[in-house]
Amino acid sequence: MRSTPSFISDRAADFAAMAAAYRAGLASALAAWPVLLGRAIFYGVCLMVLVSFWDKVAAARLAGTLATRLPPGGLGVYIGVTEWITLSIPAVQLRLEDDIRSGALEPHLLRPKPYLVQLLAGEAGAMSARLAMLGAAGLMLLVVTGRAMPAPFALISAGVLGVVGATMGLLLYTLVGLTAFWLRRVLPALLIMQKLIFILGGLFAPISLYPGWLQTLAAASPFAAHLGFAGEAVLAPSLEDFGRALAAQVVWFVVLGSAAALIWRAGLAKLLKTGI
Amino acid sequence: MGAITTYAAQSLAAVRASFADRTNFVLQMAGMAVNNGFWLVLWFLFFAGFGQVGGWRLGDVARMLGIIYTLFGTATVFFGGYRDMAGAILRGDIDALLTQPKPVLARLLARESIPSAWGDLVTGLTILIFSSRLDAGSAALALAAVAIGLTAWLSTCVIFASLAFWFSGARTLSRDLMDFTLMISAYPASIYTGWTKVLAFTVLPAGFVSMAPVSLVRNPSPQAAAIAIGGAAGYAVLALVVFHLGLKRYRRGAAPGG
Repeated sequence: MRSTPSFISDRAADFAAMAAAYRAGLASALAAWPVLLGRAIFYGVCLMVLVSFWDKVAAARLAGTLATRLPPGGLGVYIGVTEWITLSIPAVQLRLEDDIRSGALEPHLLRPKPYLVQLLAGEAGAMSARLAMLGAAGLMLLVVTGRAMPAPFALISAGVLGVVGATMGLLLYTLVGLTAFWLRRVLPALLIMQKLIFILGGLFAPISLYPGWLQTLAAASPFAAHLGFAGEAVLAPSLEDFGRALAAQVVWFVVLGSAAALIWRAGLAKLLKTGI
Repeated sequence: MGAITTYAAQSLAAVRASFADRTNFVLQMAGMAVNNGFWLVLWFLFFAGFGQVGGWRLGDVARMLGIIYTLFGTATVFFGGYRDMAGAILRGDIDALLTQPKPVLARLLARESIPSAWGDLVTGLTILIFSSRLDAGSAALALAAVAIGLTAWLSTCVIFASLAFWFSGARTLSRDLMDFTLMISAYPASIYTGWTKVLAFTVLPAGFVSMAPVSLVRNPSPQAAAIAIGGAAGYAVLALVVFHLGLKRYRRGAAPGG
């Protein structure tokens, strides 16, 4: 049985390794600045298309339709926030698929630090660079297009919920990547996850516009905690909603993290017993 | 003629190779079909709630999606090499093709077939069959729109991929430009006005990939046909010119992968 100081020093060493992987991920994302810039342009194009789309819908304000319930300033800022989170998440599922399918995972298993934790820490570093770059691009676009800037509290709460939501997104895509242990190719799982995020996460439209039953379902799912809550924070900011959303994110973070750990162990057991 | 038979033989081989892993093929195809069906349901929900967008209703969007899925599926099944053509140029994969008498572009396009694209093809054709009300005239028009859009899409992708003859970072750039174009293509044309419309008919020619062909199906007229065919033909010529200029540069050893 290990002594408590040894346990603590082991955990401290694990955290130091995670921090090193995070810094390495951040540094390599920053070094590839043209890629970051390209992503910012992609973000701009996405916003251009989606904002034009919703502006057109809002302009018609057809009586008897949901268009009358759209906020007066349109959905530009809401879309900006949800796309900011979506485009900031690295494609961790592809990295997992590659490593699991190609056998590149096995050498990592011989190392003292856990592969999945180190991978996620590195990807979180890359995600931080993207969040910063796209966040700056979003604010710049807001100024350039002359749209009304949300209140400072709304911006701060969307920022906090967005960063935690992006971390949840990383875990959701990790779950997709781990299906490679069984499916070999993660595309089918990815498509399903994307669609769930699209509808239940509010990437398509704010969940507050959905019919009651779908709204309840979405709000109780991890997808709204991943995207929708951060977007809603700029539509109707309130301290109470912010606290509730953050609490839900923390709960889902723990649930998704535990699910990832369990699936990882099951996948690893399969890999070591029967291979891929 | 030789070019076409060579292309057909290589394309068929690529398609056969994509069938090799049956489980993977079925999963990818079914996944994409479900994904596309889901997307259509989403539009259905949208129109149930909002009625219309800039005069477009569910039927218009369904026809547009049918055309896009079919042309994208056809392109990616039978000309799948376009997806990573920039990568092939940068890796120097065309060195081997240059020593052979057959045309390089056709062989580059035919070298790969992506299994998930069968899902696009199947859903696209299904949507087109239902949205053209099984009427022969409408079906012919829809197929013409697919052929026009396919020409514009492949030409655009060849232009983007040919950037690899000039820039070493063109692999990611060309994929991004293709994705931008596809994204702009997948929304109703009525939402684009002003400079966004200019962008959609020039740098990212979604206008000729989907908007003009869909407009031909929605409101058939000689003018709509002239715009759609003229645009696609113009981009096809431009693609051939850009590719051959790039190839010339590659042969001289001046290109990044040459």
